[in-house]
Amino acid sequence: MATRSEALAPTWKEGSVTSWLTTVDHKRIGILYIVTSFLFFGAAGVMALLMRIQLSHSNAGFLTKGAYNEVVTMHGTAMVFLFVVPVLAGFGNYLVPLMIGAKDMAFPRLNAASYWLFLLGGLVLLSSFLADQGGAQCGWTSYTPCSSEQFSPGHGQDLWILGVHLTGISSILSSINFLVTIHNMRAPGMTWMRIPLFTWAIEAYSVLLVLVLPTIAAAATLLLLDRQAGTTFFAPENGGPILWQHMFWFFGHPEVYIMVLPAMGIISEVIPVFSRKPIFGYKAVAFSTIGIAFASMLVWAHHMFTVGMPTYLQAFFAATSLAVAVPTSVKIFNWLATLWRGHLIFRAPLMFALGFIGLFTIGGLTGIMLAVFPFDYQAQDSYFVVAHMHYVLFGGTVFGVFSGVYYWFPKITGRMYNERLAQIHFWLLFLGFNLAFLPQHLLGLMGMQRRIYTYTQGGIFEWYNVVSSIGALLMGVAMLVFLWNAVTSWRTGRRVGPDPWGADTLEWYADSPPAPHNFDRVPYVTSARPLRDLRLRLQERGT
Amino acid sequence: MAAKLTAAVPVALVLALSGAGPILAAPGGIGPPSPETPSGEAISRLYWIVLGLCGIVFVLVETALILFIVRFRRRRDTPESAEGPQIHGNTRLEIIWTAIPAIILAALAIFTFTQIPAVQAQAVADEEHLTVGVEAHQFYWEYRYPNGEITVNTLYLPVDEPVELRLTGMDVIHSWWVPALTGKMDAIPGRINTLRFVPESTGDFEGKCAELCGVQHAFMPTTVTVMDRDGYESALAAQQEPLALGKATWEGACATCHGLDGQGDVGPSIAGNGTLTNPEGLRTLLLNGQNTSQFDYYMPPVGRGWPPRQFEALMAYIKSSETLSTAPAPTTTGGGG
Repeated sequence: MATRSEALAPTWKEGSVTSWLTTVDHKRIGILYIVTSFLFFGAAGVMALLMRIQLSHSNAGFLTKGAYNEVVTMHGTAMVFLFVVPVLAGFGNYLVPLMIGAKDMAFPRLNAASYWLFLLGGLVLLSSFLADQGGAQCGWTSYTPCSSEQFSPGHGQDLWILGVHLTGISSILSSINFLVTIHNMRAPGMTWMRIPLFTWAIEAYSVLLVLVLPTIAAAATLLLLDRQAGTTFFAPENGGPILWQHMFWFFGHPEVYIMVLPAMGIISEVIPVFSRKPIFGYKAVAFSTIGIAFASMLVWAHHMFTVGMPTYLQAFFAATSLAVAVPTSVKIFNWLATLWRGHLIFRAPLMFALGFIGLFTIGGLTGIMLAVFPFDYQAQDSYFVVAHMHYVLFGGTVFGVFSGVYYWFPKITGRMYNERLAQIHFWLLFLGFNLAFLPQHLLGLMGMQRRIYTYTQGGIFEWYNVVSSIGALLMGVAMLVFLWNAVTSWRTGRRVGPDPWGADTLEWYADSPPAPHNFDRVPYVTSARPLRDLRLRLQERGT
Repeated sequence: MAAKLTAAVPVALVLALSGAGPILAAPGGIGPPSPETPSGEAISRLYWIVLGLCGIVFVLVETALILFIVRFRRRRDTPESAEGPQIHGNTRLEIIWTAIPAIILAALAIFTFTQIPAVQAQAVADEEHLTVGVEAHQFYWEYRYPNGEITVNTLYLPVDEPVELRLTGMDVIHSWWVPALTGKMDAIPGRINTLRFVPESTGDFEGKCAELCGVQHAFMPTTVTVMDRDGYESALAAQQEPLALGKATWEGACATCHGLDGQGDVGPSIAGNGTLTNPEGLRTLLLNGQNTSQFDYYMPPVGRGWPPRQFEALMAYIKSSETLSTAPAPTTTGGGG
C-alpha cells in the first residue's frame, strides 16, 4: 500500500537530503521540528552552563560583563522561541494527524513554510551575537528604554526583533494549521469528547498563540520603528516603558501556558497507558485545559507588581493569578487519581511524567506565593523567580517533553530506545535539576537579584551558587546520556511493532514508523480509547 | 525496576532531609531577611503564612505521589498487559477537589488584601513625613532631599520618622531594592513611583538594583544609613561640602565604569584625560553621553538632572586629585569619556 502513494513522487526525491528539504509530510516536518529545536536546546543549554560557570564563585571573570548580558538574553529567548514552543509544534505536527486519524495536516505546504520560517528565525536570532557592539543585552523581555537605540546601539537588538518576528509568523501559521486540522479532519466517530487529551492541549496551545502572538509582533514592530525610523512609541515621556511591559506580558504570560499545556497533554497520554487505567475524569482534564487557557489571558500584569500600578489593579491581577491555580490543581488531582490502584509500569515515559507532577507542583506552589503580591515586592526580579520559572518550564515542560520523546520514540523511529540509559538520564536530570534550582529559591530570599553577572558575597551565599552550578553540570551530563541513547537507538535499537506499549490512541494503529499516508483505513471511533476498544474486540474473537 | 525505584525513594528522602538541616540553620534560613520596618514585617508575616499553606499542599501532594508510586507499582506476578480497575472518574470527588482549592485561594486573596495598607505603609502619606527623591542612573543612585541636599549611593534617614521615596529613572528602568527595609519599587523614566516605610532601627542597610539595566547592573549598590535625628542632619550636611559631594559623585557616576583612579574598567582609562579638566567639554559629555565605535560600550548620559552645584563639585574633586587631573605620560591617549 505504502509504495503506491510514494510512486507518485519523483524518484529523485526519495531518501535523499532533497526529500527532506522539499517534504510536506507532517511526520517528516514534525521530525525536522523536533530535531532542530533540540539542536537549539543544546545551544541554549550551553549558554546556561556558561552562566553557571561564571556564577560558580564570587567575583569570577569567566565571561565579560557584556557577554554575560548577551548570554542571559539569548538563553531565555532561545529556550522559549527556539526550543519549547517549536518542539511542542513538532510533537503536534507529528502526532495530531495520527491521533485524529487524518492523512496529513490541513495545509501541508503551509506546514513546511512554518518549519522553514522557524529555522530562519532561529538563525537570525542567533546571528545577533555577531552584530558589532554585541548581541541583544536586555533580557528575553527586552524592556524599553534598555532596548532603545540610545541604550542598545548596534544591530544586536534589531536582529533579536527580526528573529522573534520570524518565529512568531511561523507559530501563527502552524497554529492556524493545527486548528483547521483538528476541527475538520477527525476520523469518523471522533467527537470532541473522544479526541486525545494531547490534541485538546494542542487546540488550546494554538488558540492562545493565534490570540497573543500578534501582540508581541506589534510591540516588536513598534520597537523596530522606534530604533530605525525615529518614532517615539516607547518614549518615556509617552509612558512607553509601561506600554512595552503591558504588550510584552499580554503575550508573555499566555506564552507560559502555551509552553506548559501541551506538556500536560503529553503526560495526560502517558500516565493512563503506564497505569493501565483510563484517565480519571477525561472531561475535567479537557475542560481544565480550556479553563487554564482562558484564565491565562487575564493575569499578565502579575509580572508588573513593582512598576507602581494602582493597588486595585494589583489586587485584580493577584486574584486572577490565584484563580489559575484552581484548574491546575484539578489536573494534578486527576493525574494522581489516575495512578491510584493502577499497575504502574516504570518505563522512562512514566518516570518523566511522575517527575513532571512532583516538580511542577513545586513551581505551581511558588507561583501562588508570587501571586500574593506583597511577597512579590520582595521576590520580584530575584533568584526566587528564576527558581520558580524553571520549576514550571523545566521541571514541568521539559520533563513532559522527555516523557513524550521516550513514549513516541518507537512510533517515530520504529525502534525501542535503551531503557537502562533512559533511567540513568532520568535520575541524573532529576538530581541535577533539583541541585541546580532548589538553592536558587534561597538565594532569591537572601537578596540575589537575577541577571547579575557576578556577586561579591562569600559564605553560604556562594555555597548555594556552587551547588547550583554542580547541578547544572549534572544536567549537562544527563543530556549527553540522552543524546547518546537517542542516536544509537535510532540506528540500532530493537525494532518494534505498531503498538509496543499497549496504548489507547490512534497513532499506535499506524505502522512504526507510519507509512507516508499514515493509515490504510481508520477504525470507526467509539470512545476516547479507540485502540483499546480494538484490542478488546480482537481478544473477544480469540485471536 | 520497581524494586530499585522503591529503594531510591527512601534514599532520596534521607538526602533531602539531611540537606534541610543546614539550610534551616543557615543565616537567613528559609525566610526573607529579618525586616527592620513595620511594612517589611507585614511582608514577612504574609510570606510565612503563604509558605505554610503551600507547604501543607506540597507535603500532601508529594506524599500522595510517593505513596502511589510505592503502593501501586506493578507486582512481579502481574503481567504488563493486565489492566487496573477501569475507573473513569467520580464527579462528586472532582467537584470537591475543585471547590476546596478555590475556597482556600479565595481566603488567601482576601487575607492578602487586608494586609495591603500595612505593606504599603499607606498611613505615612497622611502623617508628617520626609520626602526624598530617588533618581536612578546607569549605574548609581542619586538622592534629593527636601532642602536641596544631594547624596550619591548612600541614603541618610532619621530613625523612626516616616519616609516617602519618590523614584524615577533617568535613563533606563532600574529597581530600588533594600531587602531589610521593604519590597522593591521600580524607578522608571517618565514616571514617579512612590515607596513608603518607617525605618525603626539604626544601622546600614545594603541595597541594589533589581532590574537589568545594562552592563554594570550587578554593581549598582546603595546603602541606607539610618541614624538618630542629629546624626542624620550632620551626616547630610557633611555630604554637601563640595569636595565630599564631588568625591561621592565621582565614585558613583564615574568610577563604576572607569575605576576609582580612572584607570579604566568597562569604560576606557580616563585618568589625566583633558576632558576631565575642561568644564564645558565635561558637562556636554555628562549630559549627552556618547557612543563611538572605538570602545565596547556606550557612555550613558550620567549627568542628566544634575544641578550646577554638582558639576562644580565634581570638577573640584577632579582638580584636587593629582592622578585624575594631571595628564599622564604622552604615550597614553586615553578615551573621550
